[in-house]
Amino acid sequence: MRAPAIRAVGLLSGWGPGAGAVPADAAAAATGCALLTLARPAVTHERFRRSRRESLLGIAAVGAMLEDAGVGAEAIAGERTALLFATAAAYAASNRDFIETRIGGMYFPYTAVAAVPAEAAIEFGITGPYEILVGGPTATLRAVARATALLESGACDRALVLAVEIFEECADLFARARGGLARPLVEGAGCLWLEPGEGTLSFDQRRGVPRETGGARQRFGEMLACEPVMALALARDGSAAGPLRLQGAWRGESARLEWSRNPYRMRRAARPERRRIA
Amino acid sequence: MSAKSERISIVSAGAVTPIGQDLDSFWSGLLDGADGISGVERFPVADLRVGRGGEIKKLTRAVDWRRVPDCRATRLLVSAADDLCEQSGQRALDVEPARLAVVVGTALGGVEEGERALRGGSARRLRGALYDAPARRLARWLGARGPAVTVSTACASGATALAIGAGMLRRGEADAVVAGGYDILCRFVMRGFDGLRSLTRERVRPFDRRRSGLLLGEAAGLVLLRREREAGARRLGTLLGYGSASDATHIAAPDLEGRGIERAVRGALTDAGVGPEAIDFVSAHGTATPLNDSAEAAALRRVLGPRGGAVPVNSIKGALGHTMGAAAALEAIVCLLAGRYGLVPATLGLEERDPACDLDCVQGSPRATRPRVSLSTSLGFGGCNAALVIESA
Repeated sequence: MRAPAIRAVGLLSGWGPGAGAVPADAAAAATGCALLTLARPAVTHERFRRSRRESLLGIAAVGAMLEDAGVGAEAIAGERTALLFATAAAYAASNRDFIETRIGGMYFPYTAVAAVPAEAAIEFGITGPYEILVGGPTATLRAVARATALLESGACDRALVLAVEIFEECADLFARARGGLARPLVEGAGCLWLEPGEGTLSFDQRRGVPRETGGARQRFGEMLACEPVMALALARDGSAAGPLRLQGAWRGESARLEWSRNPYRMRRAARPERRRIA
Repeated sequence: MSAKSERISIVSAGAVTPIGQDLDSFWSGLLDGADGISGVERFPVADLRVGRGGEIKKLTRAVDWRRVPDCRATRLLVSAADDLCEQSGQRALDVEPARLAVVVGTALGGVEEGERALRGGSARRLRGALYDAPARRLARWLGARGPAVTVSTACASGATALAIGAGMLRRGEADAVVAGGYDILCRFVMRGFDGLRSLTRERVRPFDRRRSGLLLGEAAGLVLLRREREAGARRLGTLLGYGSASDATHIAAPDLEGRGIERAVRGALTDAGVGPEAIDFVSAHGTATPLNDSAEAAALRRVLGPRGGAVPVNSIKGALGHTMGAAAALEAIVCLLAGRYGLVPATLGLEERDPACDLDCVQGSPRATRPRVSLSTSLGFGGCNAALVIESA
């Protein structure tokens, strides 16, 4: 696949805003704390009266990405922007609240996985191709690969890959079901802005987890689908022209993305010709 | 050969639905006007306004259930996969396990496992509540060791799954993909739609002047995808194109003008390399809610242009209820079977056409016509829209 360039990254995490807040060793930095949370973004607009924390964090991540790019929302509005969303468990809190009847019927649509990208799409007017993948880091890595395919086919001019994970409302359940999760759990919301670039991107997903995939979690904790966004944000400061390799594992599967050239340092390519049917 | 020019065949299909637990009985049920709607018995509904739906009373396929976790979502998927294996014949699924992938769509995943876990179930059940758990269990049952992927574009999920599966084949990630969708009828979703007042107390009447809402159903629909050059002679058809789009208007309701589904359809036609004049049949989303059907009809009229009133359209939701994550996969299968058998099933429940849904909805009895190229449209919560263009063999 023709590799995408990364134009901007928006990242919020339990460590603080951006990649600069991330420690060298999560376990040491967390000092025994099992969970690092993100506060609910403060919004007052009537439209958000029923919005859940995970949705507002998704919007905040897209906002942070726009800030990083130095452009306004109009730059991503419209049908030439694709939105791909990945999460392993962002829906768990709203599902639980609905099951335990802490919220009423009008909140039911917010229990859907699609609620998070829907709120972002509405807020920023994104009406292009739209896909949602469920899983941990492997889902986000696949979302980047799908975004690349959409860019390559000319279905969009830019693609946003959004990932959100929250844990606080279900912290007891994550503790019960902990199997395979690293410590600490770190809430996150991140968004990548991808555009046609240069070089190649390869992707594969397979059964089995190579030993080296644990490095990212050791550095910044368990972020599930947000892990690749965090890893890409951290890779931005690397001076090498490329290649850049990302790995992630989830429930016995691993996935790998490899850019032949550093996606932050490539010139953005001309838009592919848009195919039209008369 | 470029990635895009690699044609993807739909080799076979499997289905478990309220009107039949294999492909043949599903199809004959649609042609015979079977009604899969009944009173829900599996969980309490007495406190709900509406307690009916497309419930499968008993899973009847001869599967060794001791090998399958006690999770209804997984069992629906395994039932459909068992049918798929039977329909495919031994050789079609005879691929190296590492080259067999699974891509399924769902709106609810293992949420019922979450309900059970919160009542004191085990940690294992809790892990089963994650929405991607049933797909992994299906992969295990199939012996597939390639990627196991879950998508959740709400009620358009099945279409997204087929498209992602096709992409995996084109990129050489797998040699065969079992793709489709599923969802179960459970208290979580019944209470949700009941609370939104989306469920009708009357009959489900897609595109009818008197339509008053939907009823939910449970089902699973799967297809086997392979690259055309490896598919063999026996196949149901070809997945020509896919498009998706976001409405960006409302968290639950569709765009009233159907602009999102229009973009998805135009994207699918472009991806397929065909124009609207090629479409012989539309397997519509047709939920029978006042908003969905008029928005979808308006979009189809705009896309199909002057032929909009002459292309046969049907909805299967009058027979099954809205099967959510399974709906798009089943509706794609209807496209294939309509082409194979030269019949378009009637839209059960449609009696008085709504002038606001000015389409050629097949009504009363099946129509003898053999669509070659069909369009399947899907809309879902969160402004999810997807469309597939399918060519029958």
